[in-house]
Amino acid sequence: MDVPQPQPLPDPARIAKLALDAAVLVHQSGGDTARTTATLDRTARALGARRVDAIVSSLSLGVTVSVDGRQETALRRAPHMGVNFRVLSGVNRAVNALEAGRVGANGFATLLDDLESYPHYYPAWLVAVFVGFACGAFAALFHGDLMAVAITSIGAALGMRVRQLLAMRHFKPFVFAPAAAFVATLVVGLLQGLTGTPQAALAASVLFLIPGVPLINGAADLLSGSYLNALVRLTMGAVFVVGLALGMSVALRIVV
Amino acid sequence: MSTWLISLWAAPAALGFALLFNAPPRALWAAAVLAVIGRLLRDVLMHTGIDITLGTLLAALAIGGLAELWARRVRLAAPVFAISAAIPMVPGVSMYEAVHALMKLSGLAAGQSAEPYLVDAGTGIVRAAMILLALTIGIAMPSLLMRKR
Repeated sequence: MDVPQPQPLPDPARIAKLALDAAVLVHQSGGDTARTTATLDRTARALGARRVDAIVSSLSLGVTVSVDGRQETALRRAPHMGVNFRVLSGVNRAVNALEAGRVGANGFATLLDDLESYPHYYPAWLVAVFVGFACGAFAALFHGDLMAVAITSIGAALGMRVRQLLAMRHFKPFVFAPAAAFVATLVVGLLQGLTGTPQAALAASVLFLIPGVPLINGAADLLSGSYLNALVRLTMGAVFVVGLALGMSVALRIVV
Repeated sequence: MSTWLISLWAAPAALGFALLFNAPPRALWAAAVLAVIGRLLRDVLMHTGIDITLGTLLAALAIGGLAELWARRVRLAAPVFAISAAIPMVPGVSMYEAVHALMKLSGLAAGQSAEPYLVDAGTGIVRAAMILLALTIGIAMPSLLMRKR
């Protein structure tokens, strides 16, 4: 443990870099605008900035940090990535530790590096299986019978796998959402003779594509006054929903 | 299955999405429990005569508030619990009915009446949008009210 020594003159360039490192992780892994802004602000102040001006737009972040008359402005591109609650919580803890003085600037940088290097707890196939079963559970919530749960789980797991494979190849949501919805609906539609409640099974089969995080963060941004970012998130959500409806309606024409 | 037992299916539904969002393993059970609490609360509210939109809003507010409190206790970010637990209240059936009706509408032959499909599509879209709105605002509100600074 190194004793936290207050440096006489913290370097504004380093403060801006670390604050952006933390905020980019939050922004990309599913934080809303208020959380990203707070991360920039709290990190920079904890590292010794007197004044912090942060800007959070949907695809890039910027910050101007002032320390005793010296100032530094930095911008960073931050395209959207998958939701990752491990990273979100990790940055939260790292910033708390920094504010409480439990880690210094170097320790903070190491914590962030660690978060970047081990981001996933669960293998992709396991996620596909559990997401499939989650959609099966939805079929039950929609008053489907046990066979509806079973076929929805199979269809949604296959659809989820398609989504993962396409997203891995960097296809945009408007490509992978229809493709995944098509596969899930087709599989459930072909097996619908096995269940007495095909409606519940079909309705539940595509719910793995519901853009829960963009919609909820969009609402949070609307409520906190970040109207432009809210519109971007809600538009992202709408693209998912339209893509989902497109893939689903093509498959329904084949099987219903 | 009875209405109350069906709510237990909210747990696996939330669990799948928690895995998708890479929630830490120690957070999984709390997300599943919160999801069941939210679903049951909505069922109880609807049982007393409250409509599904208001019921969703109140249940979502409860989930958001509990998630914020629990997140502070276990030092994780609140969305880990709140968003995973909100997912089982997504109005999937209304959304499906809307898509289905729109599809029928576009495939009508000349001279057929569009009215039943228009009504179905309109009802489905409005209902789904209202429930989603209630859900997202309800989940987002508590963390904004309770956040430090």
